[in-house]
Order: sequence, then structure tokens, then C-alpha cells
Amino acid sequence: MTVTYSQHHECASLFEGTTPLTHHELAVVTDRLTKRFGDFTAVDEISFSVATGSVVALLGPNGAGKTTTVRMIATLLAPTSGTATVCGHDVEKDGDAVRSLMSLTGQFAALEDNLTARENLVLMTRLRGYDKRDAAKITDDLIDRFDIGEFRDQLVKSVSGGQRRRVDLAASLVVQPKLLVLDEPTTGLDPRSRQVVWSTVRDLVAQGVTLLLTTQYLEEADELAEQIVLIDHGKAVATGTPADLKAQIGDHRVDITTVDVAGLDALAAALRVQDFDMTVTRERRVLSIPAPRQALDLSAVADAVAATGIPVDEVALRRPTLDDAFLALTGHPAESATDVDTELDSVREEARV
Amino acid sequence: MSTATIDAVSIPLPARPGPGQRYLRETALLVKRSLRTISRVPERLSDVTIQPIIFTLLFLYVFGSAINIPGIRYQDYLLPGLVGQSLAFGVIGAGMATANDFTSGVIDRFRSLPVTRMSVITAEVIGQVVEQILGLTLTAGIGIALGWRPSFGVLGAFEFVGLVLLGLTAFTWFGVLMGMVARSSEAMQGIGFAIVLPLSFLAGTFVPIEGMKTVPRIIGEWDPLSSFVAAMRHVSQGTNAHGSWQVEHPIVAMVGWCVLIIAICVPLALRKFRTTTAA
Repeated sequence: MTVTYSQHHECASLFEGTTPLTHHELAVVTDRLTKRFGDFTAVDEISFSVATGSVVALLGPNGAGKTTTVRMIATLLAPTSGTATVCGHDVEKDGDAVRSLMSLTGQFAALEDNLTARENLVLMTRLRGYDKRDAAKITDDLIDRFDIGEFRDQLVKSVSGGQRRRVDLAASLVVQPKLLVLDEPTTGLDPRSRQVVWSTVRDLVAQGVTLLLTTQYLEEADELAEQIVLIDHGKAVATGTPADLKAQIGDHRVDITTVDVAGLDALAAALRVQDFDMTVTRERRVLSIPAPRQALDLSAVADAVAATGIPVDEVALRRPTLDDAFLALTGHPAESATDVDTELDSVREEARV
Repeated sequence: MSTATIDAVSIPLPARPGPGQRYLRETALLVKRSLRTISRVPERLSDVTIQPIIFTLLFLYVFGSAINIPGIRYQDYLLPGLVGQSLAFGVIGAGMATANDFTSGVIDRFRSLPVTRMSVITAEVIGQVVEQILGLTLTAGIGIALGWRPSFGVLGAFEFVGLVLLGLTAFTWFGVLMGMVARSSEAMQGIGFAIVLPLSFLAGTFVPIEGMKTVPRIIGEWDPLSSFVAAMRHVSQGTNAHGSWQVEHPIVAMVGWCVLIIAICVPLALRKFRTTTAA
């Protein structure tokens, strides 16, 4: 099999040409992609596609199969059945071409702990095929762009998590990939580092890089992605734009936040008498009333609340959130990110299989 | 960071050479990485140095006073034995390092790059062999400082070094395979010591097998490590052991064991390395 390693890959021409993108220009296509580990099905016939130049998020709780899916796309794990292609190259038959088109930044920054940040970048650059002189130039540029200068000569094991993630991201961008895969790019990062990663990702997307990311943060998928594939227990349970997914779970609602719990109970009793449907969340002191007529319902509810004379903090019309979408589509809420350790173990487990 | 632009430096990728040339180049780069990390974590070498040093001192100066082997100074009996034992301990060192590399994700990073995959595992093996050589050199140096006098000539020295390298290669491949199979470097260490330590004690490393009680003697006579220990001693001091065929023909036996280990472990290790991958 002959592969041309010049800059002119199928996907590359899409960025350089002036023709607008069409639907069949797909950077990633998976067709009933499946991975079993013994009796355990980690990924169960997942089919989705990523249009060239777009941003797609695989959203799901811990252990949903997101990491296994991207590891198969990155040729690190052989699928049990089904297929995946990157820019038309099959991950199983044409792994080398796939690897030359994409970059993966894994969930656990994969750097050599006992080399400095700079040495890591030089090694990754040289492994891409550059000679010493060009590698030094490229590395210095990456150090500049990713603000690594301050700790460039420190061993990677001694830098902070956010700094490490920056080096990892830089290592993925030695050569501008046609497809960038980020596996939980901000898990475990502080809010500031998360913003830094987000702005880098937005810049890359603006430059035309196709991005596939996995995340367990609804906010992150909403923030970055044009398309979301909701994954639960190895299955793709829903696909669509963030707005589509929100629409799928139905209507607007009015949320009333009371000043205290006593007020909440009193208000609930008063409104129930007037035949309002409602759900009450005592922990947050919130009473939710469906509002299919939106503003009309909002003013009706607001009037009713005012008439009771019970003090409230807020009366607001809300669109459904992705949290609501997850609950509606999977029957259980998205699990919180607190048990990252479980995921960590399961990923290590996968790495061994 | 806010100024992150993609093509600030745009150097076109050089033309890709053929697979053979790429394999050599990538292996060299990855070996360099392993060697550089040795100088950064010198304590990692303690696995391959402290143990033989402790055994040397313990047996030379504590137990050795009660051990009398006719016809040979105890230094000259003990040191070649320890070299043979160290070869086998290489399984544990190589296995732990491999398990570490595979769980840390750095191997995945290399595998996600367009590099030949054989170069990743070749570099892993070469890096381990070099580390073991450093440890063995130190052990031999300390042995000589404490009075070990090998009696080989120039040819014998080449034979000795050749056998050591063959043994290291075999046990390193064995270790790399074990490291990929083991779930963690701690598991690797536990299993490794449980197997290698007793076998190395029964192999005539510290006292002759002939004098052991029946059960350990029979195990010792067929323990593969016995041929390594006997071969080292035969080449360096010209002594001959007695008992089983393998200790009476130690060099043939040692070469045979090494070839067998390599013939089994190399394909299994390559298979294990590939089965987790797609192409």
C-alpha cells in the first residue's frame, strides 16, 4: 500500500481549496464500532461522523466508553467489530496513514516524566521526521505559543497539572494535524487552566482543524461543540447540536427560587391550590412550573407568586439544560466528575488488555 | 497562549525515508530517550546494583566465613555466581520498567505517532539491556575491588562478555513480555522475586549444588539458572560442576536456554504488543 506523505492528503485539500464543505467530506466515520473486553462491552455499535472542519463532542459520564472509542480511532486499540475511518483511511488497514493525519492528546498527559518539557517536545518533533535543526525551531515556537518558557527546562514530573497539559497539547501540535482528538482535555484542571485550553481549542478550530473531543462536562460540550454525541454504557443514545438536544427534552419552564425552605413549602401549597403543575427541588429551594407558552406563562406565574406575598429571590424563564437532556434521554442524571479515579482505573485496565 | 496561532513556524515535513531507514532512526531516538532518563533517575539503577552488592558483602564477609569450597577462593566462587544471578534478576528490572512505561501512557503517545511500531519495542529492549549492563559492570567492579580474580585470557573475556550479553538479551525480552502482561510494576516485582529468588539460591550461586539435600539438589540440577551460574564460573575460573548434564555442559546448556527463551518470548512479546493495536 502506498501512502503519499506530502502535505496533500484528501482532508488537507479541503482547507486549502475555496470550495465550500459538503456533507460527504468527513474527517471521521465510525460504523457500528464495537469493543468488547471479555464479557464486558465497552463500546456497543457506535456510529457517528465528524464533518471536516467541525467540532464534535462525545459526551458521557465516567466509564461510558468515550476513551475506548477514541483509542480505537487513534489506532491504539483494535476494534472487536465495526469500522472507523479517518479522512477515508481505515484505522485497521491503514493505521500509518491515520497516524500521520491525526494527533491524540490522551486523558493522562502522556509525556516522559524524566525529561524536561523542552526535551519532550524535541523528541516528539524528531519522531515526526524533522532533523535536529528544524526540531529546535519548531520546539522553540511551541514553547512560545504555549507559554512554556518559564518551565521549559524543568523535568515534566515536577511541573503542575495545568503546565503539563499545555506541554501535552503542544506535543500534539508539532505538525498541524488534520484531525485533533482531545480525550477529556480539561478533566482535573483548575478553572483558569480550563479557560486556557478552551481558548487554544477555539483558535485551532478557527484555523480549520477538525476536532473530536470527549468530555464529561455538559458545559464544555455546550461551549465548544457544534455536534454532540451523547454516550451512555457504550451506546450512542442521542446525536445533535446542543440546541437539538435541548429541544428533545421539551419545553421551557419557570423556576422560582424562594428565600427559605419555609417559604418554598408555603408557596408550593398556595400555587397547588391554583392548579399549577410543579416539581419542587428542596435542596436548591427551587419550584419549577412548565411554561409551554413561555412569556405568557412567566407573567401568569409571576402574578400568582406576587399575590401570595411570599418573598422570593428569583422568578425566571429557563430553557432546558444539557443536564435535563441527559436525564430525559438516559433515564439517569449525568454522573458527577468526582469519581475520576474510577475512570482512571478503568482506562488503565483497558491499556493492559 | 492567547497568541496561539498555528503556523507561526511552518516547516514542511521532510520526505519520509523507507521503512528500514525510519526504523533505525526512530529506534535510535527512542533509545536516546531511555538512556537520558537513566541519568535523571540514577536511583533506578539501585535495582541492578544494590542487591548484588548486598549479596556480595553478606556472603563474602558474613556467611562466607563458614563456607569452605575446596580448590577455590570464595571470592572467585561467589562473584561469577552473582553475575549469573544478576542476569536472571534482569527479568524483574526489565519487567518493572516496561510495566511502568506502558501504564504511564508514554508508550501510547509513541504509538499514536506515525513511527514504526517495531522501533518502540526494540528501543524498550535496548534501553533495558544497557541499564542491566551498567549494573553488572558495577557489580563486577566491586567484586574485583574485593578480591575477585577472573582467570580468563583475552579470548575467555570475550566469551564471558558474549555469554553475559546473550543472557541479558534473553532475560530482557522475557522481562518485557512479563511487564506487558503484568498489571503493574508492583505486581511484576512481587511475582518476579517469588520465582527468581528461590531459583537463584538453588542454582549453586552461593554453595555447590552437590552438597545440598536430595530435594533441593534435584531442583538445583534442573534449574535453568544453574547452567548460567556454572557457565559464568566455568569461563571465568575454569571450574567444572557435577550433577546433571546441564551443569556439566554449562555453556551449551546456557546458550540453549537463551535461544529457547528468545524463541518463545520474542514472538509472544511482539504479538502482545500488536494485539492491543490496530495496524
